[in-house]
Amino acid sequence: MAATASARWFDAAPGADRTLPFWRREPGRAQWLAIAFASLAAMLFAWFALTRPDGLISPLFLPPPSEVWEAFVRLLKRPYLGSTLGQHVGASLGIVLGGWLLAGAVGLPLGIAMGWWPKVRWLAFPIFQILRPVPPLAWIPLAILWLGIGDSARIFVVFIAAIVPWVMNSMQAVDSIDGLLVRAAMTLGASDRQILTRVVCRTALPTLVAGARIALGNAWTTLVAAELLAATAGLGYIALNASRTLEIGILLVAMAIIGVLGALFSIGMQLLTRLVAPWSRAGSSA
Amino acid sequence: MSATAVVVRSDVRSARASAARRPVAYGAAALATLVAVWWLATAIPGLVPTRVLPSPVDVVVRFGALIAEPFSGATLFGHALVSLQRWSIGVLAAIGLGVPLGIALAWLPPLRAVVTPAFELLRYIPPFAWVPIAVLWFGATTTTQAAIVFIAAFPACIINTQLAVSQVDSILVRAARTLGAGAATTLRRVVLPVAAPTVFTGLRIAFGNGWMALVGAELIVGKQGLGFLISQGQINDSAATILVGMTTIGVLGALIDVVLQRLQRVALPWRPASAKPLE
Amino acid sequence: MAAAAASNAASPPAIAKMELRGVSKTFHARGGETRALEPCDLAIAKGEFVTVVGPSGCGKSTLMMIAAGLEAPSAGEILVDGRPAGPAGPSRTVVFQRFALFPSETVAENIAFGLRVARTERAEIERRVAEQLALMGLERFAGAYPHELSGGMQQRVAIARALAVRPDILLMDEPFGALDAQTRTVLQEEVSRLQRELHYTVLFITHSVEEAVYLSDRVVVMSRGPGRIKREIAVPRDARWRGLEIEAAGNDASFLAAKREIWELIRDEIVRQ
Repeated sequence: MAATASARWFDAAPGADRTLPFWRREPGRAQWLAIAFASLAAMLFAWFALTRPDGLISPLFLPPPSEVWEAFVRLLKRPYLGSTLGQHVGASLGIVLGGWLLAGAVGLPLGIAMGWWPKVRWLAFPIFQILRPVPPLAWIPLAILWLGIGDSARIFVVFIAAIVPWVMNSMQAVDSIDGLLVRAAMTLGASDRQILTRVVCRTALPTLVAGARIALGNAWTTLVAAELLAATAGLGYIALNASRTLEIGILLVAMAIIGVLGALFSIGMQLLTRLVAPWSRAGSSA
Repeated sequence: MSATAVVVRSDVRSARASAARRPVAYGAAALATLVAVWWLATAIPGLVPTRVLPSPVDVVVRFGALIAEPFSGATLFGHALVSLQRWSIGVLAAIGLGVPLGIALAWLPPLRAVVTPAFELLRYIPPFAWVPIAVLWFGATTTTQAAIVFIAAFPACIINTQLAVSQVDSILVRAARTLGAGAATTLRRVVLPVAAPTVFTGLRIAFGNGWMALVGAELIVGKQGLGFLISQGQINDSAATILVGMTTIGVLGALIDVVLQRLQRVALPWRPASAKPLE
Repeated sequence: MAAAAASNAASPPAIAKMELRGVSKTFHARGGETRALEPCDLAIAKGEFVTVVGPSGCGKSTLMMIAAGLEAPSAGEILVDGRPAGPAGPSRTVVFQRFALFPSETVAENIAFGLRVARTERAEIERRVAEQLALMGLERFAGAYPHELSGGMQQRVAIARALAVRPDILLMDEPFGALDAQTRTVLQEEVSRLQRELHYTVLFITHSVEEAVYLSDRVVVMSRGPGRIKREIAVPRDARWRGLEIEAAGNDASFLAAKREIWELIRDEIVRQ
């Protein structure tokens, strides 16, 4: 059962249990990349092969890569449904960031207050507990009824989607601060307000950023749906119309851009977390 | 024991009891105030138009009406049933595919490398972004709704299952090996029972995600269901209908979670996440 | 190749029950390589109780993991009855420091685990489980779950589980390290009694010199990490203090002499940093 003494570059991971068969061993870096690359290549190959003119999949179901590329180029060059691609993306981004920041402006102070002053918590927490089970999207019909099909309805729904994580995480961030730190600050003569701003907010920063991250994720998800229902511009709007006019290539491009933006948001927030709190883990929520 | 000591002890006890009652009192007061303000606002004629904000009484009346008579195709129960059906199909599919796959990913490391490119590409596309293409593929049918529920619930199923299985203390797996157990026996009798509580918690999250997504999908497509109900409420300018629908959605969502929690406690009574023995 | 020199040597066994030949281990990590074990040779005869002691980090646990088949050596081979040992299995069961009992199974089910895997017939399983329960004093706890038991009881179950499959050799990795001193003493005396009655073949790892002398026929001392076998010291089976409680044995001169000899070897390694 002896293995070679030196580790080859294309080998299982350094700490891998070599008494196990190869399909149970942790792959090394080179192996991992090779497998992932092969998997990706296989998928691309399947896409090409199955969507050929005489292939198994009809272009109405899944267009060939060439069609998708052409759709992408077309979106870049010419306006679609009245706005350029840039304007559509801008519209989506504007709403999502607007709603998210608004929710932060309200939710962050509110959450901190709820964590700091028990009475505020006793008053406000039950309200949030009641609101929480209602999906943000369920507010869309009400929002349309109240505000009509326009930007404000969508900002409202995004606001609702984002505010719960902002509030809950901010409250929990303040909650979980070691009382010892607060008492230490008090013995050093700090006032209530000073303790709040300098000790509490600073120590709670990682959790606050985590709340912001979840809120942004919720906001983005909700915006896409809102644009499918009540929009005149934006990526969701593109997707909806493209599906109606059977321009599936454009639909897929819109979905891809939505995904890319979502990824950029996630990466951006992870970087922010690392900047603000380098010691915390930047994990993703399922 | 002196008399003063006894007095002090009962004082402390009653103080603690009333302290526990205070948050409930505040919460109840807050909610009652909101309802009162709501009612007052709608009681003053002309202040708020009924189509925008119906009075609490209107909402209750509407609730009764929806239970008794069909609206847009079915009564409230009818719509709720349809929603629950679609949701069940979607989450069952997500469990049926996600749990075995999660176990496989935790057990077979090379498989993770195979699956990761596809997963990373797709995970940032929100479930609702799939609605237009799902409609194209499946038409405006239950399959579309169930597919969106599936897409919303699947990631939570697979990721949490993988996490749960990989967090099982490796010493248990090694002990099973020294006793001669193969992969199947080890998974079945050692790993899965230990991982089950955590998997179940992940499933609860997935179920919740699925329910939220269903509502959205029904808003966009379909002719029945609670999401459809509230969108019809909007089209018919009936805010009361919308509010009844929203409440039902929220209540059902909360109920589902409570039922699942109870189920977890009944079905998996042994100590959770305690692969490490006590000292 | 390290020479296995023995003072007060016992005569070398004919065909060893288990033999480690030239076994070494190097761990590879991102930063580089760590040599954990220099090439070691170790032979264990049938019915012999061998303990490996050494300073922290000398690699004795790694040696055990390799012997059990749970860790692959970087070089060398492991032989059981003269033939290459296969993968980890019930011929070399292990008792771990952290008990490793299966939490979702009762005491009886844990003990029966290896037998059920081997598809032993029902009647035989029940016989052997009953035998182990009696041997380890666990009759009253047959239906209990591990989390309901104290550390000492859990380790008894672990030992019972490992013995139920009648292994060729029993491997014990600091099995009493996680127990309080009193439970430890009780279990040491119990293992000693079992060994005198039943003559298992055992490879035992510990950092307690007293435990090593009390339980073993032969004590193998390892150098500090990367470890190699420094010296083997035989402990006579017929010594006067055999069969006494540890308290009493601790007063015996030959017991103390053996302890001191081993401890000096270890201290020498620790000081030589």
